[in-house]
Amino acid sequence: MDLSRLGAFVTKSITLEERPGNEPTRIVETRAGMLNAIGLANVGLQRFLKEKVPLLQKMPCPVIVNVAGHSVDDYTSASAAMDSLECVAGVELNVSCPNVKDGLVFGTDPKRLRSLVTEVKRVVPTKPLIVKLSPNVDDITATARAAVDGGADILSLVNTFTAMAVDINTRKPRLANVTGGLSGPAIKPIALHLVSRVYRSVAQSAEVPIIGMGGIQYWQDAVEFILAGASAVAVGTALFVDPATPNKIVDGLNQYLIEQKVDDLADLVGTLRLP
Amino acid sequence: MSQTRDQYAAEVVASIPLCQEHWKLVLHLQHFPTTAPGQFVQVACRDLELNYSQEQDLDWADDQPVQIDHAELSQRLAFLRRPFSLAGRRDSAGGVEIDLIHRVVGMGTDWLSRLKPGQKVQLIGPLGNRHTLPGQKSSDEAVAILVGGGVGIPPMIYLASQLAGRKAVAFCGAVTRNLLPLTITNAAVAPTATSIEPLYNIEEFATFGIPAVISTDDGSYGYQGFVTQALERYLDRYFMDEPARGRAIIYTCGPEVMMKRVAQIAEARRIECQVAVERAMACGMGTCQSCVIRVKKADPAAAPMPGSDWCYRLACTDGPVFLSTDLLW
Ligand SMILES: Cc1cc2nc3c(=O)[nH]c(=O)nc-3n(C[C@H](O)[C@H](O)[C@H](O)COP(=O)(O)OP(=O)(O)OC[C@H]3O[C@@H](n4cnc5c(N)ncnc54)[C@H](O)[C@@H]3O)c2cc1C
Ligand SMILES: Cc1cc2nc3c(=O)[nH]c(=O)nc-3n(C[C@H](O)[C@H](O)[C@H](O)COP(=O)(O)O)c2cc1C
Ligand code: FES
Repeated sequence: MDLSRLGAFVTKSITLEERPGNEPTRIVETRAGMLNAIGLANVGLQRFLKEKVPLLQKMPCPVIVNVAGHSVDDYTSASAAMDSLECVAGVELNVSCPNVKDGLVFGTDPKRLRSLVTEVKRVVPTKPLIVKLSPNVDDITATARAAVDGGADILSLVNTFTAMAVDINTRKPRLANVTGGLSGPAIKPIALHLVSRVYRSVAQSAEVPIIGMGGIQYWQDAVEFILAGASAVAVGTALFVDPATPNKIVDGLNQYLIEQKVDDLADLVGTLRLP
Repeated sequence: MSQTRDQYAAEVVASIPLCQEHWKLVLHLQHFPTTAPGQFVQVACRDLELNYSQEQDLDWADDQPVQIDHAELSQRLAFLRRPFSLAGRRDSAGGVEIDLIHRVVGMGTDWLSRLKPGQKVQLIGPLGNRHTLPGQKSSDEAVAILVGGGVGIPPMIYLASQLAGRKAVAFCGAVTRNLLPLTITNAAVAPTATSIEPLYNIEEFATFGIPAVISTDDGSYGYQGFVTQALERYLDRYFMDEPARGRAIIYTCGPEVMMKRVAQIAEARRIECQVAVERAMACGMGTCQSCVIRVKKADPAAAPMPGSDWCYRLACTDGPVFLSTDLLW
């Protein structure tokens, strides 16, 4: 697939320390989607710098590094290292992983989120800071506003929804972690609604762009997110089904712009016609 | 090794029932990178061209059941791709034919079993690492012992095709004769329920000059009992001394309990054993981190996870083939 046509490539979460991740079974297919409880398996910052950065330097599109952690220090140490890398176009904070203990501590508490973002913003002076929001909250506009107040340059949403599946023969959860995060087409309508809400209540007035995601599989899905307020869209689960998905979406969007006689995709952002 | 992996549209040449639950799918591709036994493909077990469907307005009339025709919800579709081992490959001027043998266990394999010649199937491959063939080992007199159980038999057939002319013997087990995805020929040399003598009566192996021992749990064909029992008795008859064991390599694929037992049998005799493991997979390409298996680390101080004597490896890219002695399962 042709990566050069994409706006950016986002890495899986990197943490300060290496993490083996959760016990298997780590994934289960569900109707029109899947549950995952990978548990932030990754090589850690030091090996990331040594082993992965050389690969990222060769990427034909901008690279956004996603950073996760347990404490403010974890986030700031890893994020500061990313800020100094030339091959990194932006830093995304994963404050919304439902699959590790403490994974949602920052993502569900607006006060803590705001101070985390403030601290990280201080050590990421040269790159855009993206905050990835969790849908597992009562009011996503509260966490969105906290992220913006803390200094987020961009919001991305949504991460996966906490969910589970049960094996009726063994009467055990299908995932070793018991719960996992639901992704894929099954979550698209909810994700779309959350993007629309965050756009109208927070992002539009604050002039903070949104990266919309959650179940996007076809270009038409992408258009829906853009109309609802996303300036860009991201694709996760659909890549497992068809790795060519992002390129097909780019083709579809180009065609749509021609048909709609719109010059620039940006002109469509948030143009949802409400009753 | 799988650098050349790509997405391919293959055309169905034939879809043939082999027994009660196994089907053989023969696919034609214009081109497919070189492959080796142990490797697999990720098959989209549904029509990927089934395109975007807008959420529907539902008519909620008293006298009519609600019609939900959103494809993802109204029918069970295999959402993710499904991994299948290569069971055979033939190259010719007209392209490449690959065989997949699958057991119908759910919606994806059910969809595959309904395919008709001429239909298109999307697959990604080749994926995974490969078995090390005995010829690539130092001793010329090497004997390959293939041990397949149930849906683990297909990769053993591909392996057999690459062993033609070498010393090899195949052991295959199934619950019952109707679940054996193999072609029994030569009824005259039917095995007895206690015999562990390899016979040239299974077409898939005999074609490549390889004799086979078949076992069924219920004794409906061949050796009555588990394939591991037949294997153990065979080794105790023909591989008693160190030099003979040193020349043997066991290859195994099948249910995990079976492979664990095969590994025990091999390790007790210090015979090399290459295991092809199966794990739930989403991507098959090393990106999603879902298919992990625990392996021993040679050096606990080294990365990954310095200080621990084990680490996870990915079944899709580090495997599916592992040495049994490396696995912690
Ligand atoms: C590397 C690799 C190679 C494989 N090679 C082959 C092959 O050559 N031939 C073959 O028939 N199968 C093979 N499999 C297994 C095959 O991928 C599964 O049988 C298939 O995914 C089932 O899909 P489904 O949609 O039909 O079943 P689903 O609807 O997904 O599942 C139906 C039932 O089968 C069980 N099931 C699902 N996946 C597996 C699995 N991997 N192992 C055991 N039970 C499972 C489920 O728990 C469920 O009870 C391989 C798996 C791997 C990882
Ligand atoms: C297997 C898998 C692994 C994921 N890993 C991460 C991760 O490491 N960090 C993160 O911020 N989000 C992670 N996500 C969440 C996705 O980035 C995305 O937010 C979510 O899956 C919704 O989008 P989708 O429906 O297009 O997949 C993961 C999702 C899946 C399915
Ligand atoms: S299946 Fe995704 S990493 Fe192995």
